[in-house]
Amino acid sequence: MSTKTPTSFEEMDCAFPSSLAEALDLMADESTRGRPLAGGTDLMVQWESGVVNRPERSISVKGLPELMGISEAGDELVIGSGVTHMQLRSSDLVQKHVPSLAEAATTVGGFQIQTMGTVGGSVANASPAGDLAPSLLITEGRVVVANREREREIPVTEFWQGYRKIDLQPDELIIRFHLPKKSAESREYWRKLGPRRAQAISKVMGSCRGQVLDGQIQSFRVAIGSVAATCVRLTGIEEWLLNRPLNESTLAEVEKRVTEEVQPIDDIRSTADYRRWVTGRMVRGFLENWLEPA
Amino acid sequence: MSELHTIQTNINGKPVEASVPGRLLLSDFIREELRLTGTHVGCEHGVCGACTILYDGLPSRSCLMLAVQADGHEIVTVEGLASNGELHPLQEAFKAKHGLQCGYCTPGFLMTLVPFLAEHPDPDEATVRDAISGNLCRCTGYQSIVDATLLAARQMREKAGAVDGSEATS
Repeated sequence: MSTKTPTSFEEMDCAFPSSLAEALDLMADESTRGRPLAGGTDLMVQWESGVVNRPERSISVKGLPELMGISEAGDELVIGSGVTHMQLRSSDLVQKHVPSLAEAATTVGGFQIQTMGTVGGSVANASPAGDLAPSLLITEGRVVVANREREREIPVTEFWQGYRKIDLQPDELIIRFHLPKKSAESREYWRKLGPRRAQAISKVMGSCRGQVLDGQIQSFRVAIGSVAATCVRLTGIEEWLLNRPLNESTLAEVEKRVTEEVQPIDDIRSTADYRRWVTGRMVRGFLENWLEPA
Repeated sequence: MSELHTIQTNINGKPVEASVPGRLLLSDFIREELRLTGTHVGCEHGVCGACTILYDGLPSRSCLMLAVQADGHEIVTVEGLASNGELHPLQEAFKAKHGLQCGYCTPGFLMTLVPFLAEHPDPDEATVRDAISGNLCRCTGYQSIVDATLLAARQMREKAGAVDGSEATS
């Protein structure tokens, strides 16, 4: 039981800055600081259900122009933290350069959640079942956060520090993501397993990015969500696969090794045993895609 | 006590100005303050889709939004679909194809599908089912809802074709 009395909905206030500078000014001072509110598709539910205590104040960052937009910068895509799932899934740039991210966005909630929910909000919510996390991890991109004084870059692989714990200071906001594009020769895949196709929270989901040349695995990155306190890269598997031939003995061995590498838990959505088995099948299934033409 | 925010919004084509507490839900504002009770509230935690409204033309869940977020934006509720006493073609199609049983989910389905049909004038069944994946019908009348949507799409195409002067195709 929390000793602090939760803020009632009547007492909660919400500030609506009209620019990023104004929002960062509010965040800079302890007396004006509030819980950043983006699309509200996670927070509004958590506040309503009491899973998370309502803050005394929240700061709406929804639609701030500085947080919007998807653009190219050389070998990277730059995606504003305020970009919605609907914008991700409809973006030609995302579909071409980080296709698993576009695909993951189509599986978040339903249309109404996708029009409001944002990539920054999903990352900040830091659920181990957050559907965008695997595709962000396999890009080995960077998160850019800022306070009033400066910007700071963090590798995506280090941003989620533990269960619902992120590398963000109280005066900082998540601004944008820099995601290295996949090469023309590489492919990405996404898979989500839940009790039904729409609106279900994942039992297990994941993304991979890899390249296979003449039947030999040149590179392979894979990240799986809902099997640990944060979404995880299976680096042991990635290293083991490097330069191996893509054949049945590799597939059988990788499936076995994956079930040994992941340490999922039993919870309301699934069991540890099932998750371990399914993760092995999922990674094997990812690799089997390369046996077919792109 | 939370302070009151003055908001200027546009609901169903009409300008609305109001003073609201920062915490007031958009769904409560629409139903309780504006008395537009066509927007239904089902689960109240973002799952059922009954409270779907258009927020700058995009289907959004009003139970997960604050009234203050309507400031400077356009809202359309189910009451805004009919014009000059005539139902929207999708509403007519729901009637014709029995796209509603108890009717509780209907406003949400309509508000999800109206912008969908504007973007997808000739959808197939799978695309329609993807579009309504965020709406739950407790009577499980999905087949009739899909049929109604496909009928509305066809009728709207035919009407558009007639206006263009080109020949309508089946």
